[in-house]
Amino acid sequence: MTFLQALRYFAKEALVNMVRSWKVSLLAVATIATSLFLAGAFVLISGNLSEVVREWRGESKIVVYFAEGTDEVTQKTISGRAAEAGFVRAVELVDSETAQQRFATSFPSMAGLLEGWGDEPLPASLEIDIDWQAEGIDAWADTLREDPAVVMVDDDRDWLARLQTVILVLRGLGLIVGAILLLTAIFTIASVIRLTAYLYRDEIAVMRLVGATEFFIRGPFWAEGLFQGLLGGLSALLALAVGHTVVQRRYGDELIPSVLAESFLGPVEALALVALGGLAGFIGALVSLRRENLGQTGARREPKGGATAAE
Amino acid sequence: MIELYGVTKRYPGGQIGLLDVDLEIETGQLCFLTGPSGAGKTTFLELIYREQLPTEGQILVNGRNVSSLPPSKIPYLRRTIGVIFQDFRLIPRKTVFENVTYLLRILGVDAKTQKETAYETLRHVGLAHRMNAFPSQLSGGEQQRVAIARALINRPDILLADEPTGNLDPGLSEEILRLLLDIHREGTTIILATHDRGLIERVGQRVLTLDQGRLVGDRFVDGTWDLGATVDDATPSEPAIEDETDPEVETEPPPAEEAAEEDEA
Repeated sequence: MTFLQALRYFAKEALVNMVRSWKVSLLAVATIATSLFLAGAFVLISGNLSEVVREWRGESKIVVYFAEGTDEVTQKTISGRAAEAGFVRAVELVDSETAQQRFATSFPSMAGLLEGWGDEPLPASLEIDIDWQAEGIDAWADTLREDPAVVMVDDDRDWLARLQTVILVLRGLGLIVGAILLLTAIFTIASVIRLTAYLYRDEIAVMRLVGATEFFIRGPFWAEGLFQGLLGGLSALLALAVGHTVVQRRYGDELIPSVLAESFLGPVEALALVALGGLAGFIGALVSLRRENLGQTGARREPKGGATAAE
Repeated sequence: MIELYGVTKRYPGGQIGLLDVDLEIETGQLCFLTGPSGAGKTTFLELIYREQLPTEGQILVNGRNVSSLPPSKIPYLRRTIGVIFQDFRLIPRKTVFENVTYLLRILGVDAKTQKETAYETLRHVGLAHRMNAFPSQLSGGEQQRVAIARALINRPDILLADEPTGNLDPGLSEEILRLLLDIHREGTTIILATHDRGLIERVGQRVLTLDQGRLVGDRFVDGTWDLGATVDDATPSEPAIEDETDPEVETEPPPAEEAAEEDEA
């Protein structure tokens, strides 16, 4: 029998086995689908958060606030000095008046707060767009802070770094939970395959009797594990897609859900999820049959204690 | 050719399956293997198709030492040996055709050849018309004939039959026996384990007698049947007579040490 013929035979036998023992097969598929759904959900959420952080990082700036009463010459001098750094892409001088206008535009309900605050309720500032990947930004920001005309240097990187850490923790947690659940799924599939092999032990003994090789006997069980895993992976992907669509349609206007469900898994990630299911199923089948003698022949188990004769 | 040299099989706990058996069975020979329950008949057959390993001694099948055969080679040995059992051991969820052609599928034989070979083999056992039936839809005799067809599908050199008529009524037993004789006439070596002395009396041929694992009898017996008759032209004969103690078969005395043991007892 050629390898292709054997694969076709394995696939056919595996499908027949799955249909015949559909309840236990369903259990195995559901277990693997649940674990992959949870792992996939963590990957999806952390991926979307990472994307948002990346966008925010691209838009974030370093803002240098001047002390009250700093004259224009000093502001321009500091602006020019800041712009000398190679990683600075642009520097914009925002005077007190412009800052007030922006505040009033952004928070119209709170615009009244600034009335009666004095001449300069909001200080003049420099908004500096930089290349965040560059080195030496910290030292450069420190020199700005040391200037007596500067009261504060606001660096968005601090909170973005904290958010990034949260995302990493979230992703790590997802992977750990996913891995534990996946292990559970592997053991479930292993048990299902072992049970199937036990149910077919007489048939397997006949296969051995007529001269079937181990590859030929075990192949259908390996294929069954693989199919159950792939089905589990596909079910998880489908459930994720449905969940994602529901969240987007129902809660698309709300900040947190819209951020968390910004986009779906990419094709590579989706394929990886299904493949991971298949791999888990296959490993489950391998593990379950590794030490299984499947009604072994050739060195048959001896009766315990010699209580009965072989005949 | 099957050769056994000093073959002993001991089970854990010390129980004896076979004890120091030396034997040669020529190619194309028909041998009856007889003896009471527990005598070692099944052990004898299982050692030949490497279901079990001997504790001591060597077994050669067509010149190949099956005792030292690595497990990966066992399937290839089995493909040259057909085995049939009292309980048929058919796969219930597969049709007659699928049961019979299982080995051909393993061997990668194309579908057309599978069909042709299955038809030819099933016709040989008189079941070509039941190709699509499931085992549960067949009578005991038909199931045994399917098992024989499965054993014959790859034209084995050797056919081992372990009480093949044990579950059948006398009429069906005779039918199966005549079928096995047909197969024997085509040159297949057959070892037929049975405790049905009636069958042995009718067929004759070489009779090996086992008792408590020892080979206590090895002789040729004349049968009452016309062995030239095939299964198709055989006339119904009398029912088989089961007689465990028929003295005619065991004409050779037991080995001296056994006789001595009996004397001591």
